[in-house]
Amino acid sequence: MIPSPFLSRRTALHRFGCGFGSLALAGLLGQNRPATGSQPAPHLPPKAKRVIFLFMAGGVSQVDSFDYKPALFQHDGQMREFADLRALQRGEKTAPKFRVMKPLWEFKQRGQSGLWTSDLFPSIAGHMDDICLLRSMHTEGVAHGPATLFLHTGAANFIRPSMGSWLLYGLGSESENLPGFVSIGPSLGNGGPRNYGNAFLPARFQGTALGRAGAPLKEIAFRNISASRPPEAARRQFELQQVLNAEQLEPGDTQLEAVLQSYELAWRMQSHAPNVVDIQRESAATRALYGIDEKGTDDFGRKCLMARQLSESGVRFVQVNYALNSSSNPAWDQHSNMPQHAVHAQAVDKPIAGLLADLKARGLLKDTIVWWGGEFGRTPYAEKNGTGRDHNPGGFTMWVAGGGFRPGHSHGATDEFGHYAIEDKVHMHDLHATLLHQLGLDHEKLTYRHDGRDYRLTDVHGDVVRDILA
Amino acid sequence: MFPQPHFFRNSPWTGFLPTLSGLCAGVALHAQPLNPADTEFFEKMVRPVLDAKCLECHSPAKKVKGGLSLDSKPGWEKGGDTGPALVPGNPGESLLLKAVHWADRDLQMPPKKKLSDAEIAVLEKWIQMGAPDPRTEPGTGSRSTAMSMEAGRSFWSYAPLQNPPVPAVRNEAWPRTSIDRFLLARMEKEGLAPAPDAEPSVLARRLSLQLTGLPPTLEQLDQVAAATDPREALAHLADTLLASPQFGEAWGRHWLDVARFAESSGGGRTLLFKDAWRYRDYVVESYNADRPFDVFIREQIAGDLLPAADRDSRTRQLCATGFLAIGPTIYEEQDKQRLRFDVIDEQIDTLGKAFLGQTLGCARCHDHKFDPVSQRDYYALAGIFASTRTLSNYTDNVVSWVTQPLPVEPEISRRIEVESRAIADAEQELQSLKNRLAELRDRKAGIAKLPEKKPAPPLEPGVALPLSALHGVVLDDQDAKAVGEWKTSTFFPAYFGTGYLHDHNREKGAKSLTFTPKFPKSGSYEVRLSFPGFPDRARNVPVHIFHAMGDTTVHVDQNKTPEIEGRFVSLGTFFFEKDGDSYVIVSNEGTSGVVCVDALQFLPADEKQGPKTTDTSPATPNDAPDPVAALKSAIARKESQLSKLRGERFPVPVTMSVREEDTRGDTAIRIRGDVRQAGKTVPRGFPGVIGNLHAASFDSEHSGRMALADWLSSPKNPLTARVYVNRVWTWLFGTGIVRTPDNFATTGTPPTHPELLDHLASRFIEQGWSTKKLVREIVLSRAWQQVARTPAPTDPENRFFSHMNRRRLDAEQIRDGILSLSGQLDPRIGGPNIVGAADAAADSGDASKVEFGYVFTDVRRSLYTPAFRNNRLELFAAFDFGDINTPVGQRHASTVAPQALFFLNHPFVLEQARAAANRLLAEPETERLGNLFRRALSRLPTAAEARACSSLLSLPMPPAEAWAMVAQSIIGCIDFRYLD
Repeated sequence: MIPSPFLSRRTALHRFGCGFGSLALAGLLGQNRPATGSQPAPHLPPKAKRVIFLFMAGGVSQVDSFDYKPALFQHDGQMREFADLRALQRGEKTAPKFRVMKPLWEFKQRGQSGLWTSDLFPSIAGHMDDICLLRSMHTEGVAHGPATLFLHTGAANFIRPSMGSWLLYGLGSESENLPGFVSIGPSLGNGGPRNYGNAFLPARFQGTALGRAGAPLKEIAFRNISASRPPEAARRQFELQQVLNAEQLEPGDTQLEAVLQSYELAWRMQSHAPNVVDIQRESAATRALYGIDEKGTDDFGRKCLMARQLSESGVRFVQVNYALNSSSNPAWDQHSNMPQHAVHAQAVDKPIAGLLADLKARGLLKDTIVWWGGEFGRTPYAEKNGTGRDHNPGGFTMWVAGGGFRPGHSHGATDEFGHYAIEDKVHMHDLHATLLHQLGLDHEKLTYRHDGRDYRLTDVHGDVVRDILA
Repeated sequence: MFPQPHFFRNSPWTGFLPTLSGLCAGVALHAQPLNPADTEFFEKMVRPVLDAKCLECHSPAKKVKGGLSLDSKPGWEKGGDTGPALVPGNPGESLLLKAVHWADRDLQMPPKKKLSDAEIAVLEKWIQMGAPDPRTEPGTGSRSTAMSMEAGRSFWSYAPLQNPPVPAVRNEAWPRTSIDRFLLARMEKEGLAPAPDAEPSVLARRLSLQLTGLPPTLEQLDQVAAATDPREALAHLADTLLASPQFGEAWGRHWLDVARFAESSGGGRTLLFKDAWRYRDYVVESYNADRPFDVFIREQIAGDLLPAADRDSRTRQLCATGFLAIGPTIYEEQDKQRLRFDVIDEQIDTLGKAFLGQTLGCARCHDHKFDPVSQRDYYALAGIFASTRTLSNYTDNVVSWVTQPLPVEPEISRRIEVESRAIADAEQELQSLKNRLAELRDRKAGIAKLPEKKPAPPLEPGVALPLSALHGVVLDDQDAKAVGEWKTSTFFPAYFGTGYLHDHNREKGAKSLTFTPKFPKSGSYEVRLSFPGFPDRARNVPVHIFHAMGDTTVHVDQNKTPEIEGRFVSLGTFFFEKDGDSYVIVSNEGTSGVVCVDALQFLPADEKQGPKTTDTSPATPNDAPDPVAALKSAIARKESQLSKLRGERFPVPVTMSVREEDTRGDTAIRIRGDVRQAGKTVPRGFPGVIGNLHAASFDSEHSGRMALADWLSSPKNPLTARVYVNRVWTWLFGTGIVRTPDNFATTGTPPTHPELLDHLASRFIEQGWSTKKLVREIVLSRAWQQVARTPAPTDPENRFFSHMNRRRLDAEQIRDGILSLSGQLDPRIGGPNIVGAADAAADSGDASKVEFGYVFTDVRRSLYTPAFRNNRLELFAAFDFGDINTPVGQRHASTVAPQALFFLNHPFVLEQARAAANRLLAEPETERLGNLFRRALSRLPTAAEARACSSLLSLPMPPAEAWAMVAQSIIGCIDFRYLD
């Protein structure tokens, strides 16, 4: 039996009623304990405990990175009809012609698995034997807003909880001292907080944002976590706070008891959380692995390393955002200038490879799902026949690694140009279902009653993609 | 044709369904038993394919996607939502075959992997044979659990309102009002007794926080404490509070929750609703004026259509319609048809929950699974909103909302006119000064002057000019990334830089030039294209401008001389972000004639600061006045005059609203909610379970919103008054008589006291739909004045109201309470409150930036805190006021660690605690602790509390710091956060 985490009114008055001098409250409250309360039970034996989602906002071009299409080289520069989604949605009756644009980066086979990937991500390419490519992804929404919301919440227009919130609701938190769902550097654009929001789920399942896109690194921290006063004064104020709370507590009123508990957890977080995300305590070799202190990779490298530290400390779902705080063009949104992909790839390639290597070396990769990708892909043809590519939700690539996914494997296929998924198609709902499955949750059973009906992350859709499970 | 033709569908809710075209029921051809060969063919060839590839999603035993069962002959005969799956003997007409061929992008079955050719051949042959199928028994599995319309009409919430008699009670001494009698009768039945009356000081706090959102003042506490008749003093206090303008602020806030009020759009690019405050103020004013609730409904649904007695009424009625416009619309949705229906859906869902307590949105895709609401009912309502214009246009990449100008007084109207003229004049003068400066500079630099006046001089002979002759951001043709072969020419010498490019008049559609400008700052720029016009040029050169708000395509006629200075055409003014991915593409797609490109110029639309390099350097007296410097300072003066004029101009007031659609009429059912799959057109009307209360008719002259408003606000509507009085009850008790205030349908909770609910609803209507009378009646009931306590195990949810519920304060009450304690609260009522909103065009990137970078600093009541959907005040997010995307009848009240961290460390709390301390230090020492407790908690400290505080105060540290720590602990304590 775990001791009651709060003080009864009687005990508190007894202890504190006559002054503060001899108190050792900080120690009493600061101790670590195993998680209290009943954790919800998973539906299935879990293969993975946690997720690190590397969100590439704006949409990485699949045909320039992980989806090798020789036809694009053959037909480069030719004008062809394509079933362009924007044109279709505008209700145009004839298919517009577009110029086929070949990949800007060379493709090679990689590792034992022999998977074809391009030189856009040279370091990640070195980890293809750990990665499971999903080359037949398709999703909803041609614009960033709807597609980004769909990726995170399984719905574009309706207000639904984010996947991380569903996960916490289904599995509970692993850490007593940290929130269970963290989004590092999220953008306020394209749905903003809705992408890590709890919507109609209880508030304790909401995602915690660390900083925001475009903000300096020093702002990437838990909010209000630094004590506002010198340690001694902070302790005194905290003690008075809890004495008053204990005095005002009505025995048996659980909602009031929860207030005392919340202060205790806050106090523990205050002493614990800042140490969790501390790049300084990592070795020089580890820092170098992530490209920290290196031009171009420092920012995302630090965020990836933070993600590992948080995961290691029991945060169930960590999202690392590669995003800008822009209302219009997210980072990877190269409508006019595909070579710009190189700048973004350079910023994330080494840090992501470092993260994979680090997780593997620490034995964490086996029960951590690393999930990579954007809200959609890009067209295999030039937008307006210029030098960029447009959005393409009809077919694109995401990848997963670790967490019981089949390593060195490629699943599904797009058509010969890499435009639409045609073989073993994986809808975003399917991927959500599969990720939940690996974490021990049946997406059809993970429901929440709201507005008179049972809601799911996958609505009434989604199938677990069994072919990609190890 | 598209390579894979047909309409495209992009909805996650629709599944995969065929069109209705060419399909009529093709039913049972095979009444007699099958011959053995047919049976064998089915069993050996067909059944394995169906079992392995289809039944996972199309059999009642598992799922029945699209309403289609393929596990039995009756299943496919009946077919799915769009008709029979196959026509025996006719593969060409069979949807099943179409689906497995994957010929139509929207109808690909099985969805993940196409069947093999052999499997398809089997199905084709089977259908050709007449689809012999021995599985004649329909599969089991029910499809609908919905209540029938007849049963629905007698369901408690749809049944006509009753006015039941006030019941008798045993304990005649307790009740003061009829409310008390209804509640007590039930308590007696349940074996419960009412709790004692709460202390007058507790009731003063309860009244004040409930009616105004603010804690009582020390004077109010004193008055109640000193009263010889506390009951009368409390009644007097209630009347004072009801009459105070803060009542409208607190109660308007409740309604704003229901109306999912926000000041930005949230989803996708979040656009600023800079005029939404007018709706907010309308709501506050309505509560203060005790506007009858039926009028309040009519104004919000159809205010633009109501006759107005005067300008003020017209303004009020227009602002009220903001209710329909302020939803979380994703204005950049690319499928604009879908966007229209998303908006309609949001409006129906919101008004359904707000006024009727119904989840009507469920019927967008299918008949309601539980409630007697059909898809037909939904599209009958949708016709009303499809006949109403909510989006300003249906074509832009990012569309916008409808605004309506508000009437102004005649003298203001005159003023607006005068000011507009003055601004136009100043703009013209500024331009001419700038032209002179440019000319002067050019002369100094030895460059020929720019052609100045229209009509432009003949192009030949023109003069070549350096790029530096142009203001703003300038890109030469050579700066563009070229696709296809473009030839440099200098034939027509009126070019900038090194010549211009043309496309040889060849390979139409295969050539383009991409310009990627970099902007020194975000802002609006006029984009101009320079080219030599000539009769052999293309008349329709497509230029795509990708700016911060989307992309715009302009077609340029190069056949004639450019309008501006003989060199440029203006492509329009657009917003560009400093670090955005902006670009302009000129292409030769669809052109006939030569396409020419010389240069692109981006002129800042509002150069607020004039050139200042030489303005500050004093002129040397000996020198002759430098004409350039003189012109520059004249420009600077003119610019500052212009900016002053703009700043001082009377803002033409507009409000977010709706109007009647250009064409009005009925709309068609959308099969499974898919906007492109129109089913039968249904006449506009109201949900059948309630019916047409006043025989409203619909025509092509009107949207039908007025009829809808009348129907909603009718005393005969069984839901409206019930739902509203229950909301008021919920706001006052913390829980409702119906505990699901937004859901009065079959999946909601039935009322614990149906007679009381009907009594209150009938009385509410009788008393002229007056909110204040209803509130007064409830707060003066003995039931509302019981003590608050932890629920007893016998009634853990306090369903019988045998005591008051203890409630956590709302986020706004917490913030306003802190500001009251510190004495910092700015009590101004109404008006706009978003810094920077007035200067930003609402649908520009500027406006999003206002939200993204917003620093919340004001200390007005929380009602006025900018209510952005994506950037909430941190305190609001922490205390359950985070999501304002859907109607909220009852706030959550979570208790989580980030709240404690907020109280321990947030600068706002610390700052206000220090202000509270300074306020106390100015008061007599002996009164300080008492005043602190009374201001924050409306009571004096207990002995233990006083001891704990004193022991901290006695520590050696500056009194201001010690008092701040005590004040902070009071702000963070249970009794501050909870209302007894």
